[in-house]
Amino acid sequence: MSGTSRAQLCFLLLSVTALRGHARFLDIQDNEISPEGLLSLLSSELKRELPEEFVYRRPLRCLDMVAVEGQFTFTAERPQLNCAVFFIGEPSDIISIEYDSVNIDCRGGDFIKVFDGWVMKGEKFPSTQDHPLPLYERYSDYCETGVTRPIVRSSQNVAMLFFRLHQSGSSFTVTFRKLINPFPCNVVSQTPEGSFTMIIPQQHRNCSFSIIYPVEIQIGELSLGQHNDLRRSILGCAGSGDFVELLGGNGMDTSKMYPMADLCYSFNGPAQMKVGCDNTVVRMVSSGKFVNRVSFQYRLLGHQELQQMKGNSVEDVCLRA
Amino acid sequence: MKLNFLVTTVALLVAFPPPYECRAIESSSNQQATDPDGERQSPPVLARLGEEYFIRLGNRNQNPPRSPADSFPETSQYSKRALQLQLTQRLLEGKVGNIGRLDGNYALRALDSVERERRSEEPPISLDLTFHLLREVLEMARAEQMAQQAHSNRKMMEIFGK
Repeated sequence: MSGTSRAQLCFLLLSVTALRGHARFLDIQDNEISPEGLLSLLSSELKRELPEEFVYRRPLRCLDMVAVEGQFTFTAERPQLNCAVFFIGEPSDIISIEYDSVNIDCRGGDFIKVFDGWVMKGEKFPSTQDHPLPLYERYSDYCETGVTRPIVRSSQNVAMLFFRLHQSGSSFTVTFRKLINPFPCNVVSQTPEGSFTMIIPQQHRNCSFSIIYPVEIQIGELSLGQHNDLRRSILGCAGSGDFVELLGGNGMDTSKMYPMADLCYSFNGPAQMKVGCDNTVVRMVSSGKFVNRVSFQYRLLGHQELQQMKGNSVEDVCLRA
Repeated sequence: MKLNFLVTTVALLVAFPPPYECRAIESSSNQQATDPDGERQSPPVLARLGEEYFIRLGNRNQNPPRSPADSFPETSQYSKRALQLQLTQRLLEGKVGNIGRLDGNYALRALDSVERERRSEEPPISLDLTFHLLREVLEMARAEQMAQQAHSNRKMMEIFGK
């Protein structure tokens, strides 16, 4: 094969590999790209799968939260009619759940469903307004599509598994993986303290960062495209297509939470606020015309601070059921 | 030669479309503004005895869940130490709660557009859980993650040390 033809073949194979998203597994040795090495990338086997002995495994509980990659098996010792497992990753992860082996009786009423997000008391995160899929498409039923589509991926760093097994001895195994999400949009924080920078690169979408703790938020930098109109800021953010709002509430659904503050002009320098609710959310609304960015830090409010806030405020906007 | 090269490239691009995760995010203009959640939720009462979480199923084919005071007379409804998970479940009509209507074709029936529409109107499966319990399981998961990370680091050091 001539040098020119070989170079063109290598370029074609590299392009196909990049299109399939597997270019990160390219393994070049001795500065030479061999056709055999490139052809191996076209196979579905990924080079960097962990050996069997390094895969983390443990049994799954009826109510469980999983934050570590691995293989999880649930075996019903007795009928388990209402079980749920939460999955959570880092803010820059999305979640992949793969059915490895399933031994359930779909005809007998057993089911395993994956939900794209978290849902609690009927309230969903992300809300219907902030999620790209309609509600019914966010539920993925193993009994309907699990065999043809054994891998389910979430749109953000959280997902849930609901399952019901009527017979003792029924079981299933799932593999939980985290995949990189370069522009995380909707996030649930794993920790009550931390920092995050949310970037929406010229996309018409709304993104929420949810902290399921009462926290003090400190916004360090806000960049909202071209919006530096002071007059607009005096009139408020109504009508602005790009703004950031701080929400507080006692549910998961951001559309049902109370607005604590809204910001629609760029600024540098910390602006802080204490939100004494069970769930604190930083939400960015983006028109798609600009690249919008907000950086913030958050820390857990202590019991003393919460008591002080309760004593100082006339009205408790975070109503408890 | 160059033309052949370009034609082949285009053919491969068509044959291997970009994977899902590489596509630009499309904003949906057809998202339902109304929330299809219409199920009636009983108050989030929690009761835990020992290490067991009591889970009740409520659906439209059964009686509404009774007050937990009936089931757990020794615990008050809003006892701080008592936790109860209530899983509210809504499936497609006739598939849950009425065992007699389950037939062999339940799992094998393909969804058509009518069923999809009905499904979109049904309240979704949900879980009644307090934030307090959610934080507890989250903290357990974080502890597990840190322990596993420490274990992996130890393994790596053992491998590199050999």
